[in-house]
Amino acid sequence: MIRVDSVTRTYGAITAVDDISFAVAAGEIVGFVGPNGAGKSTMLKMLATFLRPTAGTVTVGGFDTLQAPLEVRRRIGYLPGDTPLYRDMVVDDLVRFVGGAHGLVGADLEAARTRVIDICDIGPVLGQRVRECSTGFRQRVGLSCALVHDPPVLLLDEPTHGFDPLQVMAFRDLLIGLKQDRAILFSTHIIADVEAISDRVLIIHQGRILGDGNLDELEQCAGLGGAGLEAIFAHLVSTTTTTQVSQ
Amino acid sequence: MAGSLLVARREVRAYFDSPIAYITAAVFLVLAGTSFMNSFFLAGVIDMRPFFDTLPFLLIPFVPALTMRSWSEEHAQGTVELLLTLPLQPLQIVVGKYGAALFYYALILTGSLPIVAMLVWLGEPDLGLIFCGYLGAFLLGALFLAFGQFLSSLTHNQIVAFALAALLASILVFSGEPRVVEVVDGLAPLWQPGTAISDSISCLPHYEAFVSGLIGVDHLLYFLLMSGFFLWLTQVGLRRIQY
Repeated sequence: MIRVDSVTRTYGAITAVDDISFAVAAGEIVGFVGPNGAGKSTMLKMLATFLRPTAGTVTVGGFDTLQAPLEVRRRIGYLPGDTPLYRDMVVDDLVRFVGGAHGLVGADLEAARTRVIDICDIGPVLGQRVRECSTGFRQRVGLSCALVHDPPVLLLDEPTHGFDPLQVMAFRDLLIGLKQDRAILFSTHIIADVEAISDRVLIIHQGRILGDGNLDELEQCAGLGGAGLEAIFAHLVSTTTTTQVSQ
Repeated sequence: MAGSLLVARREVRAYFDSPIAYITAAVFLVLAGTSFMNSFFLAGVIDMRPFFDTLPFLLIPFVPALTMRSWSEEHAQGTVELLLTLPLQPLQIVVGKYGAALFYYALILTGSLPIVAMLVWLGEPDLGLIFCGYLGAFLLGALFLAFGQFLSSLTHNQIVAFALAALLASILVFSGEPRVVEVVDGLAPLWQPGTAISDSISCLPHYEAFVSGLIGVDHLLYFLLMSGFFLWLTQVGLRRIQY
C-alpha cells in the first residue's frame, strides 16, 4: 500500500531524510519512532504529497506522489503534526468541508459524517468552534477529518499528542479496529504507544532508518534479547550518534 | 468547479465570521458615501462620477485589508498543509478563495446602490454610464484582489501582506494620476517616462475609460489578463511550497 524507495529530502544544506526505503502493507500498523528532528514528519509530509522528495520515489496505493498526487490524496487520511485545523470553523462544518473535498455529497456525506462522529466520539463538540475545543478533542476532530472518506491508508503524525491516558487507550483500540484492510503509519516518540499496537516498528534517527521489524526482530538485531523497545531505541540511537561523533 | 465552490463557501463564511470584514466594509462605505456627498453638494450635478473618481484611492487600503489574511493566515496556522493535502488542484483552491473575495467585494459595492437610488429620485442620471462605472469598479477590485491574494501567499505575516499589496496598488493607481505622470515626465522630458509607465502598467487609464462610459476590449483585456496572471502566479507559488 505504501512504498518508499531510496527517498532523500533536503532543506537547503540540511538533509532531513537520507536515502530511506520501507513499505507498509494493507492490514498493518507501523509505528514510526524517532527523537525530535529525526525526519518522521518530513517523511509523512512526503507521503501526504505536501512535500516532494529530493530524490527517490514514494508510491501510495500504486500511485506515485509526484505523478498522480490527487490519486494519492484520495487514498490517504492524513493527520498532520500539531493538528492544523481552521480554528474559526464549527467542528461539524469542518468535517463536512473535508468530506466534500473528498467528493462526498448528500446521503454519502451524511453517512460518513455520522460514522466519524461515532468512531472519534466528537458528538459533544460538534456545534463548537475548533478554537473552543480542548487539545484532546481537537486531535479527535483532526482524526475524524482524516477518516471521513474511509481511506485505505492512514498517515498520523503524533496522533496521541494532547490525549489523556483514557483517550490514549481509546485511540489504541480505535487504530486496532481500523487496521483491517488499511495500511496505518503513525509517528510518535511515545514508545508505549508503539509497543501496544504496532505490528512493526521503524526506528529513524538523523534521517536514516536504524531499525525495521517487529519487536523480536529488533531485539535480535540490536543483540538485546527481552530488553524492550525503549532499550532498543536508546541503544540504536546512542550507537549511531557515538559512531558519527567518533567519525 | 465543485472543489472551487466548496472552498469559496468556506471562505465566504470565514469573511462573515470575522469582525474585521464588517468593520472594513462599514469604513469603506462611509468614506465612499461621505466623499461622494461632499462633491455632490458642491457641484450639484446628478452624476456618480465623484464616487467612481474616489474609488481607486479608497481601494488602496481597503482591498489589502481584505486579502491580507487570505493565504498568510493559512501559512501561519499551518492549515495550508490540511488544504493542500485534500484532493483538490491548487488552481481550484486559488479560484475558490478568489471567488469568495470577489463575491464579498461585489456585495460591498452594492452597498453604494442607495446613492444611485437617490440620484434617480432627484433627477435623471445616465444609468448606462453608471453601469459602466460599476463594471470598471468591479474589474478594478478584481485586479486588486488578485494581486492581494498573490502577495498574501508569499508571507506568513498579515501585516507584510497588507503593506506589499497596498504598495503595489499605490503604484498601479498613482502611476496613472495626471499630476504624477507630469512630474515623472518632467524628470526626463525627452523619454516621457511618466507617460510610458502610465500607458503600460497603470490601471487608472483603463478604469477611467469605464467610468467615462467606454467598454473597450483593450481595457477589458487589461483587467482580465492582469487578474488571471496574478491568480496563475498564486497557484505556481503554492506548488513551490512542495520544494
